[in-house]
Amino acid sequence: MILVNDRDRVPWHAGMTVQDLLGAMNYTYVLITVMVDDVLVPQEDYHHREIPDGARVTVFHLAHGG
Amino acid sequence: MSAQPATVARLEITVDGRSVHAVPGTYLLKVLQEAGITIPTLCHHKDLTPTGNCRLCTCEIEVRGKKRLVTSCNYPVREPIAVATQSPRVQQHRKLLAEMYLGRWPRVPVIQEVARACGATDAERFRSELTDESPTACILCGHCVKACEEFIQERILDFAGRGIKRHLTMPYGEVDPHCIGCTSCAYVCPTGAIKIVDDLNGPVDPVLIRDHGMKINAEMATLDRSQCCMREVGTANIVDVMDAYDLLPVHNYRFGKHVDTPNIDSKRLRREFFTQKMPDGCWNGCSMACAKTIDGFELRTGPYRGQKVTVDGPEYETAAGAANMGCFDAEFLAEYNFYCDTYGIDTISFATTMAFVMEAYEAGVITKKHTGGKELRFGATSETLAVLHEMAAGSGFGVDVGKGVRWLKEKWVREYGADRAFLQDIGMEVKGLEYSEYVSKESLAQQAGYAMSNKGPQHDEAWLIFMDMVNNQIPSFEDKAEALYYFPLFRTWFGLMGLCKLIWNDVVPADNKKYRPQEAAKVPGHVLNFQKFFEGMTGIPLDEKTMIDQSARVHNLQRIMSYMLGRGTREHDMPPYRAVGPVTREEYESRQDRYDKQLVETVGVDIAGKSTEQKMALLREYREAQYNKVVDAAYERRGWTRNGVPTRERLRELGIDLPEIVAVVKDAW
Ligand code: SF4
Ligand code: SF4
Ligand code: FES
Repeated sequence: MILVNDRDRVPWHAGMTVQDLLGAMNYTYVLITVMVDDVLVPQEDYHHREIPDGARVTVFHLAHGG
Repeated sequence: MSAQPATVARLEITVDGRSVHAVPGTYLLKVLQEAGITIPTLCHHKDLTPTGNCRLCTCEIEVRGKKRLVTSCNYPVREPIAVATQSPRVQQHRKLLAEMYLGRWPRVPVIQEVARACGATDAERFRSELTDESPTACILCGHCVKACEEFIQERILDFAGRGIKRHLTMPYGEVDPHCIGCTSCAYVCPTGAIKIVDDLNGPVDPVLIRDHGMKINAEMATLDRSQCCMREVGTANIVDVMDAYDLLPVHNYRFGKHVDTPNIDSKRLRREFFTQKMPDGCWNGCSMACAKTIDGFELRTGPYRGQKVTVDGPEYETAAGAANMGCFDAEFLAEYNFYCDTYGIDTISFATTMAFVMEAYEAGVITKKHTGGKELRFGATSETLAVLHEMAAGSGFGVDVGKGVRWLKEKWVREYGADRAFLQDIGMEVKGLEYSEYVSKESLAQQAGYAMSNKGPQHDEAWLIFMDMVNNQIPSFEDKAEALYYFPLFRTWFGLMGLCKLIWNDVVPADNKKYRPQEAAKVPGHVLNFQKFFEGMTGIPLDEKTMIDQSARVHNLQRIMSYMLGRGTREHDMPPYRAVGPVTREEYESRQDRYDKQLVETVGVDIAGKSTEQKMALLREYREAQYNKVVDAAYERRGWTRNGVPTRERLRELGIDLPEIVAVVKDAW
């Protein structure tokens, strides 16, 4: 199980990448910052950085517009 | 929206015998610089597209056994290569070039520096009749041409002539009247060949303003296409985002997305409608240039029917307003945008009022008898345009609609016997102003951001949704209260200074990710820009507290004026329930999982055997209580009483406890 933004629980599977998680959450926004267990993941690594089971992930959307 | 950058694993390359990792597609020079290797350059600028003109950055690469020289600044690394940055061949090549440059521009400091770095000392070898002894000679690097084109999307400067006759010029060798004097070209010129001879408005420190303005220009040139695409589609990009996150108002804010959104989203507008994607004159020299227009649009209705016109827009709120009215039709969108602009009618207030009218019509509160025979269901595009024309002409049902949601509610209760509570729940206005186009149901902070605003729920206040609902970064009431303190005051500050908000967070510095979420949301690099603009203009340094206090003074005075007008207390900060939770059964059931989950996991009730109506009542009780708690916390943080009136201490702290002001509010203490 992965905990996203200290609130949402997402089932974990072996080999799950940051991109898989964003897909599962339907997070398609461009101004996103991702931290896995408090470590920043560069955007170019989303497709191959694996998330360990039990990780705490922060998916931070920066607001724009308005 | 933009394509995501390359997402495959990093490549391993060899540089001078050591292993270096590179993101595929990155230019070799950048990879080398990031690895701490210094390469001589002349025509390279970190914020401009490389041209490969000077060839000084040459390196030797080996691919599949074959060696060759490449200019590293514009060579994208796509496969494992071996790079030699200092091979004899490379050194010889660089030295020769540097000597040629030195022969032509012997006194230009950047040339002298690069010649030293390349071991070129003989300034005589290539001396000729072309030699220019000026220390500020133009060295034909091309930075200015690129900056004009990429920073502000103009093409005022260019090179003319070939070979030794190549020189920099404006079209036809004359000063181009289209030059807006933005000074981008002078800023990037490495030699001082372009001089700034005028500083309009007499700022105290023009260099400070320019330095920070150029940072924004560079970000627009390099980052916008992978962020919000403001240059391509402007704020219309938000339609796509809001639909994806269930935040786009649909059918009077009942829902947050719709299958037909692609008919009016930014992809469609970009593909088939927007014709002008260039600097727009909204603000001369603005490098974001986000306003977009549709040319040659043929109107189908109204006084200009059959004429081809230019439509200024649509922007996000206008397009989202179409969704709110259920009118997922891009032609309708362009037409209502044009006529609202032409008549001087706010698209947001129009759309939100019409969405309310449509819901009331479908619920049977009003009928054709009241609308002048128009069937005003959601999606009724022709009828909606007819109401708009009536509104402008001062005739028919349009006259009533033009008076807005609050007035309509009163009239329908008074004259048609409508259910006041229902209209209060679905009539999206606070303090008499219609809501802007974001669904706030799932964000407590956003509900308060809208309803507590002095001006009413307008679009300046619409950015706490992601922080709260998606990021969960302001979980406690205190966190929300802090956000409700800082952000409205920060936003007020732009308005006070006459500065545009869009360069705050519609492009974001690449290094913004280094901040923790709470800080990152403020975009510290851009807050600094605003502070420096102020300081550059006035000579007065500004920090965050002073900036927020400047706003707080005005904000509190606005609140006191609201109080004078009878709208400055708690009861006027209460939102219609539609902004907080599901009003109708259909609405609850459309997001049943979400609401059930909240009841079970957060409220802690057993929902087994409960009807939708029972669950709706429980949810409402909970959400309204939560809303009141956030208001309490926000009032406290703002230094207001529990009834939302600025306290004497707060007025004193801000230096605005003048007797005439105190006289207005003292009966509320
Ligand atoms: S001042 Fe601005 S518009 Fe004029 S030539 Fe320079 S970059 Fe172009
Ligand atoms: S004017 Fe300056 S920036 Fe433009 S080409 Fe010459 S040296 Fe380069
Ligand atoms: S810096 Fe690469 S060619 Fe000039």
